[in-house]
Amino acid sequence: MTLSQLSLEARQVDPSLPLLEVDQLVMHYKIKAGSVSAVDNVTFTLHQGEAIGLVGESGCGKTSVALSLLRLLPQNAQHISGEIRLNGENLLWLSAEEMRQRRWKDIAMVFQGAMNSWNPVYRVGDQIREALDTHYRGVMTYAEQRAHMEKLFAAVGLPADMLDRYPHEFSGGMRQRAVIAMALSCGPQLIIADEPTTALDVIVQDQILKELKRIQADLGMSIVYISHDIAVIAEVTDSLGVMYAGNLVEYGPTADVFARPRHPYAYLLLRSTPSITGPRRKLAPLQGEPPDLLNPPTGCRFHPRCPFATERCAVENPPLEDIGGGHKVACWHWDQVPELEGLQR
Amino acid sequence: MLKFFIGRLVQMVILFVVFLSIVWLLLQLMPGDISDTLIGNPDIPMSVRLELKARLGLDQPLLQQYITYITNFFFRFDMGVSFSRFPKDVSAVLLEALPRTLVLFLSSTLFAFWLGFKTGKLIAWRRGGRSEQFLIVSGVFLQTVFYPWFAIVMLWLFGFVFGWFPIGRFITAELWLGAPFEANDIFGRLIWTVVIASVAYGIARIVIGRVAKDLVTRERLAMLLGLLVVAAVVGYWAVNPAAKFAWDIVHHTILPVITLGLVAFGAIMLLTRASMLETLGEDYILTARAKGLPDNVIRDRHAARNAMLPVATSLVLALSFVIGGGIVTETIFSWPGMGLLFLQAINVSDIPLAVGALAITGVLALVGHLVADVLYAVLDPRIRIA
Ligand SMILES: Nc1ncnc2c1ncn2[C@@H]1O[C@H](COP(=O)(O)OP(=O)(O)OP(=O)(O)O)[C@@H](O)[C@H]1O
Ligand SMILES: [Mg+2]
Repeated sequence: MTLSQLSLEARQVDPSLPLLEVDQLVMHYKIKAGSVSAVDNVTFTLHQGEAIGLVGESGCGKTSVALSLLRLLPQNAQHISGEIRLNGENLLWLSAEEMRQRRWKDIAMVFQGAMNSWNPVYRVGDQIREALDTHYRGVMTYAEQRAHMEKLFAAVGLPADMLDRYPHEFSGGMRQRAVIAMALSCGPQLIIADEPTTALDVIVQDQILKELKRIQADLGMSIVYISHDIAVIAEVTDSLGVMYAGNLVEYGPTADVFARPRHPYAYLLLRSTPSITGPRRKLAPLQGEPPDLLNPPTGCRFHPRCPFATERCAVENPPLEDIGGGHKVACWHWDQVPELEGLQR
Repeated sequence: MLKFFIGRLVQMVILFVVFLSIVWLLLQLMPGDISDTLIGNPDIPMSVRLELKARLGLDQPLLQQYITYITNFFFRFDMGVSFSRFPKDVSAVLLEALPRTLVLFLSSTLFAFWLGFKTGKLIAWRRGGRSEQFLIVSGVFLQTVFYPWFAIVMLWLFGFVFGWFPIGRFITAELWLGAPFEANDIFGRLIWTVVIASVAYGIARIVIGRVAKDLVTRERLAMLLGLLVVAAVVGYWAVNPAAKFAWDIVHHTILPVITLGLVAFGAIMLLTRASMLETLGEDYILTARAKGLPDNVIRDRHAARNAMLPVATSLVLALSFVIGGGIVTETIFSWPGMGLLFLQAINVSDIPLAVGALAITGVLALVGHLVADVLYAVLDPRIRIA
């Protein structure tokens, strides 16, 4: 990492090189009643400069995956198996101190509810500077840090003098922009954005996502977007992963997944998303409740709610298999899932 | 800020007048007056008693006495003459005792807050473990203990059994016999050096805040500065010819300060721990960890700094405890401060002295509240007044 990259210039990217590889990740939360199987066998690869999205309903383990990547899981979390490699280096093998040095410098994160990501008692500029002080101690002078932060603020559309303000003086949208500026501050290769815009109104949400998309493309960064809103995420990602109850059930190029979802859950999820542009569709909401992850269903975790389920589904867990063109599905009956009608992109 | 200040000041003055009136009235309503105490002797004829009453103005109607007292208090800054220490002025008697009480209150409050905050912070950070259990139990014990009993036990244990500290009083009389110094002078000088050192430290902190822009340098410089100031004060007194006498006073001060401080310490430690645990669950702590900040920075700069806010509010609560506990402490350690003075005054119906002592205490409490408010505004930018 050099200073020039820090100063917001495009990074050379080779889209064929993997940046982040998550390999059969399994993690549990230990609670009194037993262990919550929050992430089960999740596998995906993120290439340099790529933006991927993870979608799924609340509680399906999106945040748990994100926190695993930074090794920031709460105390009661247990990593069971699997690997997380960044540029080929297994993050799970690093010592706590080595991992600490990777955070923010290599992987930054915009948190769910980032509105509260700011410490109320310090100026926003000081909180960004703190990250620079930690990872680039002695590299930049005070004035250089200031200039860098002003550039960051300009990039997210905030006036430079806001750096001297306290978080409570920012509106929600501004706070979110400032959080993105802070995430960019150390020039990370990867940003994880966990529901970065959930608390904002639709217009601001749209602006911020577009800006993030532009910055990501400009700087050659990679992004993992996390959301429960599949329509929002489809616009800004190259690949899309659909999670259900701790499993990654479908993964592939966003356009493919969006146009031809092959997993019954993804299919029903997309069918229940109202389309503004296309003709009116009958909304078919998902039946039933998401499973209790303390006692997940045997076999395929979706089978109790699945209209295509057979006996096999209750016994054998389908692997995530490539059905052509990098489109992967974990379902025994993916070929029976009908086409989405009337959905236009 | 100025407007806020003036508003508060006016509020405080009004509050004080009301307080003083109530105190005055309540003490007047106590049965008997100084003439009963001084001349309980039946041999003294009634005429002499009446004469005395008249001279002290005690024969006048209550309202007249009240008006006289209040006008003298606010317009001549005169609190009258002490009956029991006639003809000394109440203000002179109080002025002598005030510094001792202030030192006792301030040192024990600072000690309690400093230690309570440190330990509370650490046990919240490293949850679980024996030391946490032990400290919580001790904290609850200190918070609920019957204070006079606790003070006596402390005196007995450290003054008598271990003999580490002198048993009560302010100075060792034998040492000071023929000493070339006045105890009050040395005490005053001790206070002044500490005050000057604190002010110097405060100013230097502000300068550092202006000059050193980044947090790390600021923190390091502040720490260095603190050490320097402490070294300067200790050094100054170590080479002073009055060192021996100064030490005698300090030696007498330590045990009452610790005893009074310990009780407040328990409450503050528990409060800090609870507040810290809450802060540690905040989103910005997760952000701080994601930023790759080292653990001690997350703990001190982010968690503890915010956990401090409710603790600062409790300064007001601590104040009321310290004032009540202060009287008990002064009595048990025969510490010649205002609390002891007040008790003696009540015993002999020396109303002017008693009212005076309470008036000063009231002023202290009001100032304490103001300090707590200002402190809170300084600590929390969200309520800082533009
Ligand atoms: N600290 C924890 N202890 C025990 N269980 C937890 C803990 N954190 C999360 N879980 C459980 O793990 C599962 C996954 O949670 P996670 O927060 O990853 O979901 P999510 O997909 O991010 O949901 P949302 O969209 O609501 O943010 C949930 O069932 C949740 O109840
Ligand atoms: Mg989440």
